[in-house]
Amino acid sequence: MNSNIPFLNASIAQALDYTAPILFAALGGVMSENAGVVNIALEGMMRFAAFFGVWGSFVSGNAWVGLLWGVGIGIVLGALHAYITVKWAGDQIISGVAINVMAMGMITYLLESVFKTTGYSPPVAYFGAPASKIHLAFLKGIPILGAFAELTILIWFALILVVVLHFVLYHTVLGLRIRAVGENPHAAETLGVNVFKIKWFAVISGSVLAAFGGLALSLGTLSSFTNSMAMGKGFIGLAAMIFGKWTPFGALGAILIFAGAQVLQLFMQGTATGFAKLIPLGFYLSLPYMLTIGALIGVVGKAVGPASDGVPYKKES
Amino acid sequence: MKDVLKRIVFGKREKYWWMNALVPLISILLAFIVGAIFIKITGRSPVVAYKLLFGASGLFPGPYWKSHFAEMLLSSSMYIATGLGFAIAAKGGLFNIGAEGHFIVGGIAAAYLGYAKPFAGLPKFIHLPLIIVGVMLAGGIWGAIAGYLKAKRGIHEVITTIMLNWIALYLIEAWLVIGPMEAAVETGISGTPYISLSAKLPKILPPTRLNISIIIILAVTFLIWYLFYKTTFGYEIRTMGHTLMFGMEAPKAAGINVERRTIQTMFIAGAVAALGGAFMVLGVLFQYPPIFEGGYGFDGIAVALIGQNEPLGVILAGILIGALRTGATTVQLAHIPKTFPSIIEGFTVGFIALQMLIRYWIMKLIQGRKKSVQTEMGGGAK
Repeated sequence: MNSNIPFLNASIAQALDYTAPILFAALGGVMSENAGVVNIALEGMMRFAAFFGVWGSFVSGNAWVGLLWGVGIGIVLGALHAYITVKWAGDQIISGVAINVMAMGMITYLLESVFKTTGYSPPVAYFGAPASKIHLAFLKGIPILGAFAELTILIWFALILVVVLHFVLYHTVLGLRIRAVGENPHAAETLGVNVFKIKWFAVISGSVLAAFGGLALSLGTLSSFTNSMAMGKGFIGLAAMIFGKWTPFGALGAILIFAGAQVLQLFMQGTATGFAKLIPLGFYLSLPYMLTIGALIGVVGKAVGPASDGVPYKKES
Repeated sequence: MKDVLKRIVFGKREKYWWMNALVPLISILLAFIVGAIFIKITGRSPVVAYKLLFGASGLFPGPYWKSHFAEMLLSSSMYIATGLGFAIAAKGGLFNIGAEGHFIVGGIAAAYLGYAKPFAGLPKFIHLPLIIVGVMLAGGIWGAIAGYLKAKRGIHEVITTIMLNWIALYLIEAWLVIGPMEAAVETGISGTPYISLSAKLPKILPPTRLNISIIIILAVTFLIWYLFYKTTFGYEIRTMGHTLMFGMEAPKAAGINVERRTIQTMFIAGAVAALGGAFMVLGVLFQYPPIFEGGYGFDGIAVALIGQNEPLGVILAGILIGALRTGATTVQLAHIPKTFPSIIEGFTVGFIALQMLIRYWIMKLIQGRKKSVQTEMGGGAK
């Protein structure tokens, strides 16, 4: 059994790598939807940021510049989403679909015109390079904890962000206002909260978080952009956010179940003997998704979001 | 300003009904303008690009028009199918991202019923309807799972449809197509075996590939329209959609069985979207390949939104998107990637989301004109 420890740790580290982009997306959703603005554009925002991050890193040779480019495009997209849904009370779902569809077309277009390639960008400086990882050598060899010995800075940031976001949402005035705006904007307005300002802030910061998700894909896990990004991870993040009942720790829990199923899947595939070897690959691959539905049926019960989530806010005249 | 907004928000159904058709048209126009600017910025010629795009789109007569026209209708029929899949669910207040999954479930069902032994020998007039029914059942059941989980367990349909998309993809492409349904090695075919002759959709414009899929989907669209606007069943579903924000208390009080209608709505949505996959397999590919060309499901969402979730609108939007995709194969000649139509599509949907702004502009225009005639009335516009 001992010989399995490095393999287990490697599987968990791989799962964490897989998890970080989804976690960022889910936290972006938590931020935006607690202020009452549905953001199904997480997927498209990740795609934009993943590309712009690689572009920035390509131009400058520095992954941190790429990070800034990605955050920049996140702010632009967030402002677009907020302009449509907050300023003009547009349908939030339609706006989100628009950004997703635009991400499909525009990024493929830019990929071909910037890098003159189809499908892949050239490799660039990234956070996953052995030198840029955060080394915690003393953890090596310990089961489970050993997985944390060599992670990228983005994964640590995602994990820390869960705590930060929880604190902001539930222990600060700003967080109270954000949640008030998401529950009952009219009541918040009468108490002197600037509903529009709070919504703008929440949508843009949520979209920046989603942008980090894209960056974790292209500058964390890989060192280049591939045209299949974000591979549905934004949508999984959206699902995890709902599963986690619109809270940071809930989202983390949902993603850990999902990631746990991923580890299980990799572990079972790798160590399968006898009967388990006969189970087709497709069942292993779909296991995380089935388990997520199963967990929802069994444990969680009804998912109830912020009361005014998805309802455009108009001032009463 | 107040008056104008009030009129836009509350009076749109009665007085300015034509605005509902005008908004998508203006959105499309604006999207083409922004698309042209985008091409210009990246250093290509928008005139050349649009000439190529529309020249090969099948919308306008020109060289090779017949084959472009046929290709356009072939892809349009699939976009209409997935667009309806979204629109039907949206009518019932459900947000269905599952069309992608329904599409491939329909595809694999069509492939199986098309080549499998007991069916493959049947005469065409029995075999083909049998496949269509089988496909709609398969897609419907896949859709109804999400409906059931929503109705009985309260699980948000966004989660279940996303999860079911992936489950369908992995079960089909990492199991069925490379396992039990794989063509025998000695045939040298990758993917499933080819469907029998009796399963292929009849062609209607001989030298081209055009087949009856467009007729089938037009008939289905008419049935959906009839269902929604001429039957109690459809009325009940629309009632649910309209009162979504208020927890569907009103329909419940009115005696509508919300749970059952939710499941039925998702069944119909899945069944119609699955037809798209069947069109692909029975009319274009004639087998289920190892990797299915995706995207129809997600484009279906855009089609439904451009078509304002109305059956007629979905047909027109489906034809537009089909035409753009057909024309896109030639824009590569102008050094523009063939995904360029997605940009137009995205901007169109974006402007539709901004419809409050567009409506406000139109109203301002009308008000402005009125004001110049009778100045003393005064207008609300700033």
